[in-house]
Amino acid sequence: MTGGKFEAAHEDLSERRVRLGRWLFRLATLLLIAVVALQTLDAAGVLTIGFANWRPVLYTYIFWGVALGSSQILTRGEAGQQAAFVLPALLFTAAMVIFPTIFGLYIAFTDWNLNAQSGHHFNGFDNLRTLWGDSYFWNALSNMAIYALTVLVQYAIAFGLALLLNADIRARKFFRVAFLLPFMLSPVAVSWMIGKSIMENRFGPAATFARAIGWENPAFFTSPWIARTSIVIMDSWVWIPFIVIMLLAGLQALPVDVKEAAKVDGANRWQSFWEITFPLMLPVSVTAIVLRVIFELKLADIVINVTAGGPGGATDTISSFIYREYRDRSNVGYATMIAEVYLIIIIIFVTLLLKALGRFMQKMT
Amino acid sequence: MRLQVYEQLMAMQASRRQLMKGAAGAAAAIAANGSLALSATPAYAADSIVAQIMKIPGAGNGSPTDADWQKVGELCLEPTKATVQPGEFKGIEFSFMGLNNQNLHNFLFRGFLTPWEAYTGAKIKWIDLAQADYNARLQQSIATGTVDFDIIEMGAPFEGDMGVKDLLSEMPDWVMKQIEFDDIVNYLKPPVGAWNGKIHRVTIDSDCHTMNIRTDVFSDPDLAKAWKDGGGKGDWGPPKTWQQVLPINKFLKGKKVKGKDVYGFLDQPKPWGGFCFYFLCSRATAYAKYPGEKNWLFDENMKPQVNNPAFVRAIQDVIDCLPYEPADQINADPGTTAFQQFLTGTGSLLEWWGDIGTVAKTSDTATIGDALSFDILPGSDDVYNFRKGAWEKLASGPNIAPNMAYLGWGIYVMKTVDADSKRHKAAWSAAAHLGGKDLSMWTSAYPSGFQPYRKSHTNLDLWALAGYDKKYIGSYMDSQSTSYNHPNSAIEPRIPGIFQYYSIAEDELQKTFAGKETAQQGADNIAAAWEKLTDKLGRENQVKYYRIAMGL
Repeated sequence: MTGGKFEAAHEDLSERRVRLGRWLFRLATLLLIAVVALQTLDAAGVLTIGFANWRPVLYTYIFWGVALGSSQILTRGEAGQQAAFVLPALLFTAAMVIFPTIFGLYIAFTDWNLNAQSGHHFNGFDNLRTLWGDSYFWNALSNMAIYALTVLVQYAIAFGLALLLNADIRARKFFRVAFLLPFMLSPVAVSWMIGKSIMENRFGPAATFARAIGWENPAFFTSPWIARTSIVIMDSWVWIPFIVIMLLAGLQALPVDVKEAAKVDGANRWQSFWEITFPLMLPVSVTAIVLRVIFELKLADIVINVTAGGPGGATDTISSFIYREYRDRSNVGYATMIAEVYLIIIIIFVTLLLKALGRFMQKMT
Repeated sequence: MRLQVYEQLMAMQASRRQLMKGAAGAAAAIAANGSLALSATPAYAADSIVAQIMKIPGAGNGSPTDADWQKVGELCLEPTKATVQPGEFKGIEFSFMGLNNQNLHNFLFRGFLTPWEAYTGAKIKWIDLAQADYNARLQQSIATGTVDFDIIEMGAPFEGDMGVKDLLSEMPDWVMKQIEFDDIVNYLKPPVGAWNGKIHRVTIDSDCHTMNIRTDVFSDPDLAKAWKDGGGKGDWGPPKTWQQVLPINKFLKGKKVKGKDVYGFLDQPKPWGGFCFYFLCSRATAYAKYPGEKNWLFDENMKPQVNNPAFVRAIQDVIDCLPYEPADQINADPGTTAFQQFLTGTGSLLEWWGDIGTVAKTSDTATIGDALSFDILPGSDDVYNFRKGAWEKLASGPNIAPNMAYLGWGIYVMKTVDADSKRHKAAWSAAAHLGGKDLSMWTSAYPSGFQPYRKSHTNLDLWALAGYDKKYIGSYMDSQSTSYNHPNSAIEPRIPGIFQYYSIAEDELQKTFAGKETAQQGADNIAAAWEKLTDKLGRENQVKYYRIAMGL
């Protein structure tokens, strides 16, 4: 082992063995290309072979994977054996992640409405142009920006709760479990329990309380900002415990001696928190915030169940919009384009967020 | 009707048999408008099959079980025995795709078909789908050419999707005879259930919107006095025209009956997977459906009519009414208005499918009990003639145009069985068994997910055998049958992708109801989006299919 890397022992491999390995790989690759080409031509109606399904490609891909691993061992000896350990995972990832993403990209550039008599066909950048001018998309995206911003508020609340649960309070174990309960609930159940029952405007306890404090006709989903806030409250109720768990784990891993030293030096509680706990917690905080933002950007279930994006699109999300485009309108091509564009937006946003948070951490520490 | 509704409905329902049992004090008079000849004398022999099955399981014996379904299926086998020899289909296996909601639909079909399988020797493989998966699964199967079922339970609006791909088998004459096709109510006959002149559907259900009315509110003397004192037009009572709805809503806002807030008409502004659009249509048909004219959503060239003055007026009606409805009404979908509002005492007028009348009596959570009557949808003082581009007052009085929303469920046999005469006969025999006349009376009266759809279902004595109160069921059946048989009923176009049109409309309407655009702007946006969708799906073909669907 050198430089933290395993090195294979030098081996003298016979030329015949290496040649066999190379030919095995070449033949398997040729077979794979041939089967893919034949199936594609059959599916396109150019040839009439009569494949019932795409299983031949799947089986050939598995065979090709085995041949690739074998050829690695034959041509590279021990180094090939090391590669063969990684290959199954690599090939599985390629089949389950990379291929669907590329296939999704292809679908995104087609005009494919399941009800269209012409079937699906490549339509260039038409879906992108439609997306650019789609007010529903931009409305949902602007809502997502608002939802994502609320993560900061959720983080602040979660930090406070984590500090409480980390403190030496009575029934600490009970509270830790109790605070986790919302996270264990399905968002669909939360939609019904809270959105449709507790916030019901006639008999819901929240409405009754609102009346008691002077709101004559409480309605939690009628005006845009109140509806948005109501959705955020429900969503936060489910997800804040997730941030709390992460922060609590971080707090428990903090070195006690640093805090004690600060105490000895005369730091008050706020100074101890702001100068020591908060900076030390930044790596955990960044992870929690980024993960939470990613989850937030996928918000759909509560919105679909409680408001269906209303009133007038005020609570709509990209995911619930994609859901409508696909499920209700069979608009496969366009819905996939929205999903792909949104994925790219999320990747760019999270990358920028990580950079910004990295700079902030540097500043703080 | 929508299956999700039945999920809720049956979850709430103890036993449909006990439905109208007991007092039905406030029910409307039977056959009041004379459009329906409800049978007063038994049209069956006491020992007839229908008389026997209507007592299974019998009043007070709980909800029907699989054993009951099998018993009913067994007793209803006679028509099958007349056309099929014992064991004739031995060795044949086919698949049946349907819904599995709340132990209904496929669950009943299984029970009904068990004795059929035992007699004929055929085997059925079941494909059960949840409601939410149904449309996507169906459209994917059609679009990708992967139809893996021989028989399907399907709603009429999807007939266009199937018909244009020529995927359906044509109903043989012997099936028409076996199911007594003529007994089916007229609006469910071709063009409905058929495509391009070929009949495909064994009807097992029907659908239409009717008006559900709280009789305690409209017979309240204090309200009647207040109505008069306040200068209300005419006597206090349920609206006969849509023009009367807004004044009622304004009047009832802030009023109480038996100490509870009471409201008037309840609208459904929140999207519901396309189904919410049916409710706006029910408000619009009296304005938009001109007598003698089949077209109302589109013209014969598929030019949308959804932005004509009739629809704009209906949209404006909703906008005007919403401030006089419960506080969160803009977030109410049809499920909310029916099950969380009307049946629990909020609101006094509701347009809905026939479920309300049944659930009102059988659900523990429904609190309105007997205080319910039924009527055809309100009419309009004037009707928009889109050919002339003008409003007209009819000499006959208000224009009435009930909306036959969704057109009911049916059993369809796929064309894949046509190549093999034995499979063909087997599949059609199974479908005919499920659509048999006697069996249909049982599914109308007991929890099944299906509503009455035959002329013979108006025989109240048969309902009485299952424990129904005749007066109540008379009012209920009258509202249904008057709608079914109305000469100016509005039939939706069963074109491919029709629910895409509805879904787009819902999105736009949601913005309009929220005040983001005017009624006219919203309607224009829907029309523009529909034009775009028609182009996307292929205008020439869509127009052709529209004309086929509408029987033009």
